[in-house]
Amino acid sequence: MILPLGPIHPGLKEPLRLKLKTQGEKVISAEIDYGYVHRGIERIMEGKTWQKAIYLAERVCGICSYIHTQTFAETFEKISGEQAPLRAQYLRVLTNELDRIQSHLLANSTFFKAIEHETLFMYMLALREPVMDAIELLTGNRVNMGWNVVGGVRMDAKDIHLQQIMEIMIKLEAGYDRYVEMYEQGPLVGLRSKKVGRMSKEDAIKGRAVGPIGRGSGLKHDLREDHHTYRDHLDFKVIWRKEGDNFARNMNRFDEIPQSISLIKQVIENIPKGDTRNKVEIGKGYGEWRNEAPRGEVTYMIETNGNLINNVSIRTPSIMNIDSCARYMLNDVATVSDAIATYASVDPCIACAERVIVANEKGEEKHYQGIFDIK
Amino acid sequence: MLDALKDIVRKSSIHVCLVNSGGCNGCDIEVVALLSPRYDLEQYGIYVHNNPREADVILVTGAVTEQWKENLRRIYTKAPEPKVVVALGNCPISGDVFNQEGSSVNAPVSDFIPVDAELSGCPPRPSEILEAILAVAPGAIAAKGRQKK
Ligand code: SF4
Repeated sequence: MILPLGPIHPGLKEPLRLKLKTQGEKVISAEIDYGYVHRGIERIMEGKTWQKAIYLAERVCGICSYIHTQTFAETFEKISGEQAPLRAQYLRVLTNELDRIQSHLLANSTFFKAIEHETLFMYMLALREPVMDAIELLTGNRVNMGWNVVGGVRMDAKDIHLQQIMEIMIKLEAGYDRYVEMYEQGPLVGLRSKKVGRMSKEDAIKGRAVGPIGRGSGLKHDLREDHHTYRDHLDFKVIWRKEGDNFARNMNRFDEIPQSISLIKQVIENIPKGDTRNKVEIGKGYGEWRNEAPRGEVTYMIETNGNLINNVSIRTPSIMNIDSCARYMLNDVATVSDAIATYASVDPCIACAERVIVANEKGEEKHYQGIFDIK
Repeated sequence: MLDALKDIVRKSSIHVCLVNSGGCNGCDIEVVALLSPRYDLEQYGIYVHNNPREADVILVTGAVTEQWKENLRRIYTKAPEPKVVVALGNCPISGDVFNQEGSSVNAPVSDFIPVDAELSGCPPRPSEILEAILAVAPGAIAAKGRQKK
């Protein structure tokens, strides 16, 4: 039987078409059809100055909007050969980690919704709200913050706000273990997540899985290790696990949150005084920069003529993760509801993933990147 | 008598279907934030389930991409009468930053389906979304229900 899901469906939070071929309760193949949120952002960016394009970069994805502007700005900083001042770099880390916490909490809450565990779903959302407050305190907005500019950040943070963020973090940390324990020890959640949707390390490499999805399968890869601010000034270690199932992916996200809290504390304690913005002379050239988003690796490749953007290409993590989900993880699930839970554990973000249209010469036949079969 | 009864019932159980027609996701996660205990959407009798066949209110976010041009209409007709469409965020109202030369968006949404209320913001705050749904939905649903007869 073929079971079509979507584009609008109670089990999906973003528009996407899933065609599951089933035999009884077992899923034997899945086809994913994209293209519902393709806006053509790269095309619009061409011929614009960075001041205009950075707003478009922010709106590639609403959940991890922050990292897109940071990567965009750092690409331009690389082209011009100048770095942001140290205080701005610290503030970037602060915002990035706050954003990561809220994104991970949202991702796990979606998984709990998919396995119908309403209690943990609500707890996760309740934990997330104070973090959103912290983001709002710092940047003035909850989702699209407009916090980065080429050469630094838009404005300075006040000490009193940093102190308030510190308090929010201490409160979050105090209650946090209880929820992790609920997930780690809960027998019923265990049944729905342990040994479901397994992906081996080899498959993760073949599927190019990144972020917590790759790290859950034993790939020790986190770009924050190589980032100059983290490497030179902060104490950071990659968190990874071996199991490669739904449980490992969620636990990996759970474990990364205390680490983000510790990074935020380090930033607030050690933040240096000084400017938050350098004046940057942008020359002609091509630059490429990669950063670790909550879901994995984001790459920006930009070619500029000094003023306008000639060409830009954005690579987001979701496309690789959804790909490895369809190819490898869904082979290991027994029922349709497990398939949906596995799909949710990958933390797919469709708005990120819609990057390419493939069209023939006359432009008649269009199809969108990432239509594939699992067998 | 029957109308009055229907009004009461409709006021206290509003089913919402969220349709992302091609935005950045920001508006959608603000709707998810509404489910959280802080805002607790369900205490107002609002239930978000993403099923167009049972919806009273269709929340449209996003700027109508190519693939959505026909599907939007189809989803709209699937929802039973009386129904209310709320356009959420700048995207469905004007296309926001995406509505520029070379893009593949076809905003506004009102070109494709009738829109009853619009709420601007990129994204609007959760409390504003809640206020908008509550301000427009019960009255409009009741009025439309009577009109039909
Ligand atoms: S209005 Fe803004 S936040 Fe909402 S979907 Fe559009 S770009 Fe995203």
